[in-house]
Parts: sequence; structure tokens; C-alpha cells
Amino acid sequence: MNKRKPVAAARAKTTTSAPAKRSVSVGDGADAHQQLIASRVRAGLFALFTLLSLAITAGSAGVEGNFAFWVDKVGGTDVAFSVPVVLLWAAVTAGFGAMAALQLVRGASFRWRLAIGLVSPVLVFALLTRLLDGTTANLTVFFTSTLLYTVPVGIGALAGIVSERSGILNISVEGKLLFGAMIGSIASSITGIAIAGPIAGAIFGALVSLFFAWLCIRYRVDQIIAGTVINIGALGVTTFAYLRILQPYSEFNRPIGITPIQIPFLSDIPILGPILFSLSPYFYIAVGFVLFFTYMIYRTRWGLRLRAAGEQPNAAGTVGIDVVKLRYRAMLVAGLLAGFAGSYISLSGTGGFGINTSAGQGFIALAAVIFGAWNPIYAFGAALIFGMTSSATTLLSGLGVLIPPQILLSMPYIVTIIVVAGLIGRVRAPASAGRPYDQG
Amino acid sequence: MNGLKKFGSKIRIPALSISVALLVGALFIIFTDIEVLGGLLSDPIGALSLGVGRAATAYSALFRGAFGDPENIGKALASNGDIKLWARALRPIVESVVASVPLIFVGLGVSVAFRTGIFNIGGAGQYTMGAVGGTIAALVFGAGVTPAPIAILLVMIFGVIGGAAWAFIPGYLKARVGASEVITTIMLNFIAGQFVFFLVSNFEFIQKPPRNQPVSKELSQFVDLPGILPIAALRLDISIIIALLTAVAVSWFLFRSTRGFELRAAGLNLAAAKYAGIGAGTSIITAMLISGAISGLGGALVAVGTIKQLSPGIGGSVGFTAIAVALVGGTRPSGVVATALVFGLLQHGGSLMQVETSIPIEMLLFIQALVIAFIAAPELTLGILKNPFRRRPRSVGK
Amino acid sequence: MRLELQKITKQFPGVLANDRISISVDKGQVLGLLGENGAGKTTLMNILSGLYKPDSGKILIDGKERIFRDPAQAIDAGIGMVHQHFMLVPVFDVTESVVLGNEPTKGPLGSFDRATARAQVAELSKRHGLHVDPDAKIESLPVGVRQRVEILKALYRKSDILVLDEPSAVLTPQETEELFEIIRGLARGGTSVIFITHKLNEVIAVADKITVLRRGAVAGETIPKKATAAKLAEMMVGREVQLTVSRSKSKVAEPILQVKGLNVLNDAGGLAVNSATFDVRSGEILAVAGVQGNGQTELVEALTGLRLVDSGTVVLEKKPLHAGSPREIAMAGVAHIPEDRNRDGMVKGMTIAENYILNTYHLPQFNKNGLLNRKAIAAATEQAVKDFDIRTPSISTDIASLSGGNQQKVIVAREFSRNVRLVIAAQPTRGLDVGSIEYIHRRIVEQRDAGAAVLIVSTELDEVLALGDRVAVMYEGRIVGILDAKEATRERVGLLMGGITK
Repeated sequence: MNKRKPVAAARAKTTTSAPAKRSVSVGDGADAHQQLIASRVRAGLFALFTLLSLAITAGSAGVEGNFAFWVDKVGGTDVAFSVPVVLLWAAVTAGFGAMAALQLVRGASFRWRLAIGLVSPVLVFALLTRLLDGTTANLTVFFTSTLLYTVPVGIGALAGIVSERSGILNISVEGKLLFGAMIGSIASSITGIAIAGPIAGAIFGALVSLFFAWLCIRYRVDQIIAGTVINIGALGVTTFAYLRILQPYSEFNRPIGITPIQIPFLSDIPILGPILFSLSPYFYIAVGFVLFFTYMIYRTRWGLRLRAAGEQPNAAGTVGIDVVKLRYRAMLVAGLLAGFAGSYISLSGTGGFGINTSAGQGFIALAAVIFGAWNPIYAFGAALIFGMTSSATTLLSGLGVLIPPQILLSMPYIVTIIVVAGLIGRVRAPASAGRPYDQG
Repeated sequence: MNGLKKFGSKIRIPALSISVALLVGALFIIFTDIEVLGGLLSDPIGALSLGVGRAATAYSALFRGAFGDPENIGKALASNGDIKLWARALRPIVESVVASVPLIFVGLGVSVAFRTGIFNIGGAGQYTMGAVGGTIAALVFGAGVTPAPIAILLVMIFGVIGGAAWAFIPGYLKARVGASEVITTIMLNFIAGQFVFFLVSNFEFIQKPPRNQPVSKELSQFVDLPGILPIAALRLDISIIIALLTAVAVSWFLFRSTRGFELRAAGLNLAAAKYAGIGAGTSIITAMLISGAISGLGGALVAVGTIKQLSPGIGGSVGFTAIAVALVGGTRPSGVVATALVFGLLQHGGSLMQVETSIPIEMLLFIQALVIAFIAAPELTLGILKNPFRRRPRSVGK
Repeated sequence: MRLELQKITKQFPGVLANDRISISVDKGQVLGLLGENGAGKTTLMNILSGLYKPDSGKILIDGKERIFRDPAQAIDAGIGMVHQHFMLVPVFDVTESVVLGNEPTKGPLGSFDRATARAQVAELSKRHGLHVDPDAKIESLPVGVRQRVEILKALYRKSDILVLDEPSAVLTPQETEELFEIIRGLARGGTSVIFITHKLNEVIAVADKITVLRRGAVAGETIPKKATAAKLAEMMVGREVQLTVSRSKSKVAEPILQVKGLNVLNDAGGLAVNSATFDVRSGEILAVAGVQGNGQTELVEALTGLRLVDSGTVVLEKKPLHAGSPREIAMAGVAHIPEDRNRDGMVKGMTIAENYILNTYHLPQFNKNGLLNRKAIAAATEQAVKDFDIRTPSISTDIASLSGGNQQKVIVAREFSRNVRLVIAAQPTRGLDVGSIEYIHRRIVEQRDAGAAVLIVSTELDEVLALGDRVAVMYEGRIVGILDAKEATRERVGLLMGGITK
């Protein structure tokens, strides 16, 4: 029984990333080999990164990275400090070196996802210093914008996780973000009540989500086509409404912004205070949601049934769980979340709603779902990494660093492709996501 | 007679879908009119009739924009061959056809992928990269460097290469590592847009002087596609002919060739295709290459011939509309061409509607979304027709 | 509890699946529900479990009429189903699987009380002698154990009426015997059991009462004492049935297929086929027996090029094939009747003609310079439709609209249209009615008599024993024995299927 071929068997036992169901190659036994190859490729990739960063380390001797932090609160006094760039890059090199070695030794069982999570922040930071090349950068804004970026992407990802765990493939997050942004802005403008914006956005997102679910469940529309319907429709409706109503009657698009809150005492801590404890309430709510849903999905009856419906709906249906109702409810929750996330886009800034204001963040949220292996906390971490790239772009272009912004702006999309392609590892999607369920 | 009946049953659902969507669009126009909404409580009938009137005005503009103004057509007919009057009368319908050209190309491209079971949402990106290829070819080989026919051919070839290369990425990733093409193509659409932005703002060779705007040089100075209408003022060039020829070629390919047979088999049942010795990976990559090549060809021809400029927004909503075109056209080349013409009419009609009544043309996106939903859920479409107009048979008490 | 179904009728588009079916089972009784594929057994059970609503008829429990709108109501009424295809979530553990739907919870958020659930499951499995590890992941369990989990699920819901749908399909004869013991034990404890099967011996062995279904209606009722296999078969099919396949003695000649030390991996990377060595000779049928999931699927896939060969050699008449593609193998003279015809054997949405040329479209007779030769394709298909008696309105009909038997005939016609040296038939008669089964068997034997080598893989012991000139048995990826037809008794093969070699 245990005389299986050592290579294959060991990997089969230890790996957490079983073949994804969408793979074309499933079923020809090549997956075990692919797992092995994938982990070798990964090791090679990390080794390459090691060499690259070693080269940069060598080239950056003597360059100083200058940073400033706002101490106290926004607009307060600065504290400046500088780090030798060499040191940062030496750290990155060491990190990648260790990853490459561990990956090679441990094979598929190596927790590369976690390792990337640990190394990337240092990497982004080191890249920054190298690109700044002596210019002074203010990091408070960098960190706060990174954290805030996780609001639409992180909550959007959560919406994706809830619906896909229930078995409905949800590419319509982008559309719901747009709807949430517009309705949030209108509701806030009309009522003059700040909190009306997020609430209305969430409710409208839920309605759209239910319509989406209705198409998928009642009419068995292919879930990707239905998602496309929502995305195109959202772009059309919101742009139409913007040009026809919000632009000529701009009183409908002057929302009461949701302003950052200063958490008493904590916000007074130097450096950490402005970065962590003087943020928009959206951020704290997002963190709360992530923790809450992680508990709900993995530790409660609701989560158990949700996962059963997404993996094997027949197994749930035959023990008396109403899978259809469950999926509708999950989509309701997903819609509330996505609409709420959308409202952030129009309410946190000053401009209100604008045409296509979500700008693809809903799709990046989907990438975060995949990168985070359908786990809310991991997905939130992915959103943070994407957020860092995005704020690095802003920071660098603001400082006039000569690097084409288009390339930096493409980074999240390129990273997403790499993630989806599984070049650095496969993840297991809920087995039945995307398939309609027949109930008698 | 029988053929007519068959034709009727084929277009029933698409025709119904488009009509119902337009109807919903009208409601949308009425209920997004602030004046109508404002008067709804105090004077509902007056407000509603105002709204209906406005919707009618809008649709009449849409109609005139699509087919032409009957008044102008009358004048032209009476003029005994005045070229200017004829040009004015025919311009709308010709422009509608022009608007349908990119839709035919991308619709065909997307259809080939759909037939193979690949949900290629990347039509926009492939079209954009085709436009990049075509633009570069025009800049390099145009303006007398090579004879005009050769330059045009090179524009087409570069367009094909650009589109195919862009489609190869998701195709390869799906075939070799099973990456979902839905996500990768969406991402590649974004990247293509950024890439064009990068090209037209960083290279003197491409950017229009004085280099303060992210657009390319005027391409008509380099390559000019010959028109096919006797009236020079009407800009319908050979791209429509190439589009129709492509449709015929795709039809032959899909239904007559062995390769097409392989792709259709793979699209309907990948496992059975593998069983039959059809390489799944090869089919996917082939389909994506063809799909991208067709979209890219369209991008090159439209960028060089119709728009005559490369700009980051060139992909625009073509990708979305093409999905609607492919689905409404049943992924059959004849259906795609017919649907593309209808959407071209809507597109150009919509622009006149926007000019005359300031109702945004983006309404068409919403209408497309509805049409896709109706086509994907035929039951829903028929249900909508049935329920409001026909009463359910009342059960007679037992 | 006494369960009674009265005149249950259920119509599907084009099929009357259940036609006024009345059956009953008493408290502590085991009812054997016998019928061939398509007789309406599964529809009836789906009605009983609340998945379908009957068009007419009544369900009575202890004389009271009950209406099940959904599975939850059927479960509440005490009906527990063990489905033929297990309804388990592969990534869940046993505890989660058993309690799903009736989970113990605590706290305001409905937190899943794992400790309580685990204790309940452990206690239940101990009480009924159904040994399972409550913490094991379902996907790591062998099928026999998964079935125990399914039974536990029903017991956990305090089912008084237990319905088992074709439960022995995945078991060895010995495991089946154990299952019978469990069933008898439950019946002694007062549970009513409905045992659905198409295997004659099983109902005779375990049932207290036998009801036979045929074409959606009750064909007869009897008790095991009065029943013989032949009589039941006749009742089931509606005519006299030959329980054995008539065939001449085989004229065995040189080996055609030679397999040596073949290793094949399964999807999870484990060794599915473990150093298999055997050969199949011209003019003989080698039947591979084994409980489902012991590597037969992977063996066939490897032999036909659908799965990579990890190591070992496969030689067809001196030609090495272990690295061949499906097409190379087919062109070398291998006919493959796939195990899952819906998945592998045909393309629904394509016509009969297109399916007929599915793996030969590239040959010169159908392919002219990259274009399909429609005339030749139509002519060849018309001929096949005649030769194989395929019932279809036309060759341009979508294959999806044919019956299972006719679909299988299209596949067999296609595979036998080439020059055949080796026939690989995996579960060639699964899900077919008796008429089609006999037809397909006859065609396969014809190929043998014409000098082809035949490899049949079947989980139906009866089929294996009826067709095999030699019988190979697979257990956990190994070929644990190859017997000649005359040594291959039900008992010996059965023991081998359970991995007992002595």
C-alpha cells in the first residue's frame, strides 16, 4: 500500500495546492509531475531574484535612502531618517536566497505564499529607495494609501470569496463596485447624511447581486456571461446616469465625505499613530469584516454549509440544505459587501462619483481572491501587496522619478496574470464554483 | 417557405431581445429625466407624457442617425444626382456600416474562441494590439517607402501579428497551466491600453508633434485605404469587404475544415476531443491565435483606415459590444455579421441621439447588457413576452 | 415504521419514468427493489427522498399521507438515502460530512460545535459497528469506508427507513456480504430497508420481499424463497433471458498486447497502476475484474494514450505504444470503448455523422486537403447506421437525442470501423438495457472470433465471468491474479477482488 513512488506520493501527501479544476491537463496523471516541476520553477525563479537583488546590492553601495515621516498627525512636524540602500537590498537578497533554498529542499510543501508575503514589503521598500536614488520621500502617505487601497480591493475580494465559496463564480465585483460608488454618492448628496452613502451603496449592491444570482440560478445563465452582463450594464448605467443627471445637476454628486477618524490616544503615537490609527473608518470596518468572515466561513454552521454548497452542492442538497436559498443568501451578502466597498471609492475622496471610477479594482479583487486561495485573510494580504505597488507608483510619479508610469500602473495586472497562471503555484478553487445546481 | 420559417425561428429570440432592450432603454430615458421625475408627483400624466415625448424624440434621432433622414433622402432623390445631397442623405447609413466593421472583426474573433469553449473577453486588447501593429507598419512602410498596396498588406499582416501575439498569452497559459482565460484576458485588456499610452507618449517616431498629447501621428499621411463608394465624401473603405471575406473564411473554416472540426469538438467536449486524438492544448492555442488574429486585423484596418490615429482609448467598448455581437449572432459568422450591422446602426444612431437630445450614447452599453442577458436566458425573454400580454389560462373550477 | 407508496406516477418529457408504482415495506423488513437500468428505480427513490415531486400518487408512512416538498421534509419523516454516487464533500472530514445539515452549534453566531459532533459520530459508529475515523478526510478514504459514512449520515438523522441505491457497485463480494450483515442488523433493530439493485443474487440473499420494476411499472412481487435468478431475470426484462453469453471456444494465437511492469499515476499523484504485467492474445478475451477505483480506469487510460505512462512498457504486435498519443494508438489498431461514454465517447451537440468520424476525420477518405469530405462521411455513416441497427431519424441528428443504447452503438460502430487488432472495452454495457447489453456483447465476441485481442474491464462480476476467456483481477493497482475461465469461480475472483490472494 505504501510502496508508492516516493517522489509522487510524498508530494501528494504534503501539498496543499492540488490541481485546480479549471486545468485542462487534469486527468492525465501529469499533475503530480507538474507539481514537482512547478516547485522547481519556483525555486529557480527565487534564485533568479536572489541574483538580481545581489546585483542591485552591489550597485547601490553608498546611496542613501531618505525618508520622512509625519510625526503626530497629518500636517504635523516631520522626522527624517535615512537608511543605506545597500542594507535593504542585502536583506532582500538574503530573503530571496533563503526562499530559493527552502523551496528546493522542501518541494511542494514549502509555504511560499507566506514567504512572499514576508519578503514583498521589504522588496517594495528597497525598490523605492533604489528608484528614489537620494530624493526624500514621505512614507506616511505611502503607508496610509497602501492601507486604504485594501478597502475596495480587500472587501471586493471578500465578496468574491463568499459567493465563490457558495458555488457562484463572481466576476461581477467590478460592476457592483461601480454601482456602489454611484448610489453611495447620490444617497449621501441627497440626504446630507454621511452614513447614508455606504448603506445605500451596500443595499444597491445587494440588489444587483440578487439580480445576478437570479440570472445564474433561475435561468441557468453561464456565470461568466451573467457577470459580463453586470459589468457592461454597470458601466453603461452609471456612465449614462452620470452624464444625464450627476453632471448637469451636480448637487446630486456632492457627497458628504467619510473623513478619517483619529482614534483617541492611539493616534498620538509617533509615526504609527498617523499611519495606523488616523485612517478612514472604512479601513477599520474592512479589517473587522475580514476577521468576522474568516470566523464565519471556517468555524460556524453557516460556513460549513456554504463550503459544502460550493464544493459538492448535491451533498448539501440531499441532507436537506436548500442550496438555492443558500446561494441566494450568499450572493446577498456578497452584494452588500461589494456595494459597500464601492461606496468607499466615491465617498472617501473629494470628487464624488466619476465615469468608470472603479477602474478595474474589482478585477484586481478577483486576483486577490485567487492569490489568497479563497481565504479572507490571505486575500486581504494580497490586496495589501497590490496596494503597495499602487502607492509606490503614485509616490514615484509624484516625485518625478523617471520610470514610465504606465509600466507601474500595469504591475497589478501583470502580477495578476502571473498569479492566475499559477507560475508560482496552484490553488484549489471551490470545486463547484461556476456550475449551476439542479434541484430536482 | 420552409426556409423562411426556419429563418424566422432563428431570429425570433435575437429580434425579441433587441426590441425589449430598446423598450427598457426608453423607460430608462424617461425615468432618468429630472424634469419628468420632478413633475411625477404633482402632475403624473403631464410628466409622463413629457417623458414619453422625449424618449420618442431621442429614438427618432437614433433612427435618423442610423438610417438617414427621410427628408434628406427625399431631397437627394429629387435632385437628379446632386453628389452633395446624396452624400448627405447616405452618410448616416454608411457611417453605421463603418461603425459595424470593428464589431464584425472582433465579433468573429470572439466567436471562434467561444466555439472552442474559450471565453475570450480579450477582444478589446487583441484589437488594440492589432491597431498598434497596423500603426507601426503604417509609420514604417507607409508614405511611399513601399508601394501603397504593399503597405496596406503589411498593415494587415502586422495587425494580425499584434492581435495573435496578444491572444497567444492567455491561450498558452490556459493550455499549459490551466489559467482561467477570463481573468487573464481582462488583465491583458488593461495592459494593452497602458501599453498604447506608453507608446504614444514616449516615442517621437510615433507621437504626434508637438508631443503634448498621448496620440499618434495622423496615419492618413502614411497609408490610405481606398474607398469603395463612388462618392468620395462617404468614407467606406475596403475594410468592410475584408470583414465580409473574413466572415466567409471563418464560416468555411469552422464548418468545412478538419481544423474547424477539431476546434468545435474541443469546444463542446474537451475530454472527448482528447479521446479522439485532438490535442486540447493545441486546439486552445490555435483557436486563440485565430481569434486574436481576426480581432487584430480589425484593429489595424480601423486604426489606419477609419480613425487614422492610434490612441489609448482605441479599444473602447468594442470588446464588450463584440461579446454581445457574438452571443446574439449565435457565434455563427452570418449571425455575427447581421448583428454587427444592427449594433453599428445603433452605434451611429446613438451618436446622433447624443448630439441632438444630449442623451448619452452609453445607453447602448446598458442595452447590450440586457440583450446578452436575454440571449443567454431565452426562457426569460419568452417569459417577458408571454406574461404581460397574454393571460395565463384560467383554471376552470372543478 | 411502515412505508407505502401508492400509484406513484412521474412523467418526464418523452418518458413515463414511473407509471402507477405501488410498493410497501414493513418495519424491520428488507425490500429488494429489482430492475434493470432505466426501469425507474432511481426516479422512484428521488421522489421518496423529496428531490422530485410525483405527478400523482401518495406516500404513506404508518398509514398517514406525507408530502415531501424537499429533501429536508423526507429526512424529517425518517427517510435516509444512501445514493449510488456518494453525496460527500471530498475536502470535509468524516465528522463534518456526517453532521452536515444537522450540525450541533453553540453561541450566538451559530458556531459549529465540533467536539460534540465528533463525540456523537464516534459513539454512533461504535454502536452500529461501522468503523470510521471521525477525523479522516473523505478524499483519503477508500470507497467502502465512504459508504459507511453515508450509512452513518442516515443513522445520525435517526432514519427509520433506509434506502440504499445500488450499494454493491463499489464493493467486493466479501464487502457486500459485510454490508448485508449491517443491513440485517439494522433490520433486526427495527429499521426498514429498501435495497435497490439490478443484481439478481443480491436480492435473493438479503431481501425479505422482492418487488420487480420494468419500464417504469411494477412487473411483479415475490419472496426470495420462491424466486430463482432465471425467474427474476424474466420478470425484470419481460422475456426469457440468457444469463450467459453464447460463444464458441476461442482459437487463441500469438499475443497481441504485451504489458510489462506498467506504472501509472492517478490525479493525486499516487500510484494507480502498480507494475502491471500481462498479455492479451489474438482470439481471446481477457476480462479485468475489480472493485471500482482499483486502478482499472487509469490502466485503460494509460493503454489508450489518455494518461501518461510513468514507467513500464506497452507493446502492440512489436510496436511500442507506452509513449503513444491517443491517435497513434487508435491508428495502430486499437479500438477503445470508453468507460464514461458521456464524457469521453461522444460530443453532444454534434451530429451522429460527426461523432462517427470523431477520431477518423483526419484519414484520407474523410479529409481532402484540410477540408471535410462530407459526401464520404455521410455515406460511411449511413452504412454504419444500417450495419449496427442504430435507431435514429437521420445521420444529422444530434447524438444527444439518442437513447443510451443507440449512443453506445454509434461508439462501437466507430471503433470497429477501423482495422481492429485490439479491443479495449471499459464498462461497455454500463447503464444499458438488457437488449443493448446482449447486442454489444455479441459484437465484441465477433471481434474476438475474427482474431482480435479483447481486453474488457468491468466491475460487474457477472459480465466478467460471462465473457472472459481469462480473468485478471485488480486490487489497489496491482494485478493480483490471472485465472483461466474454468478456474474463475465467483468465490475465487471475489476473494481476489478483496486483495486476498490465498
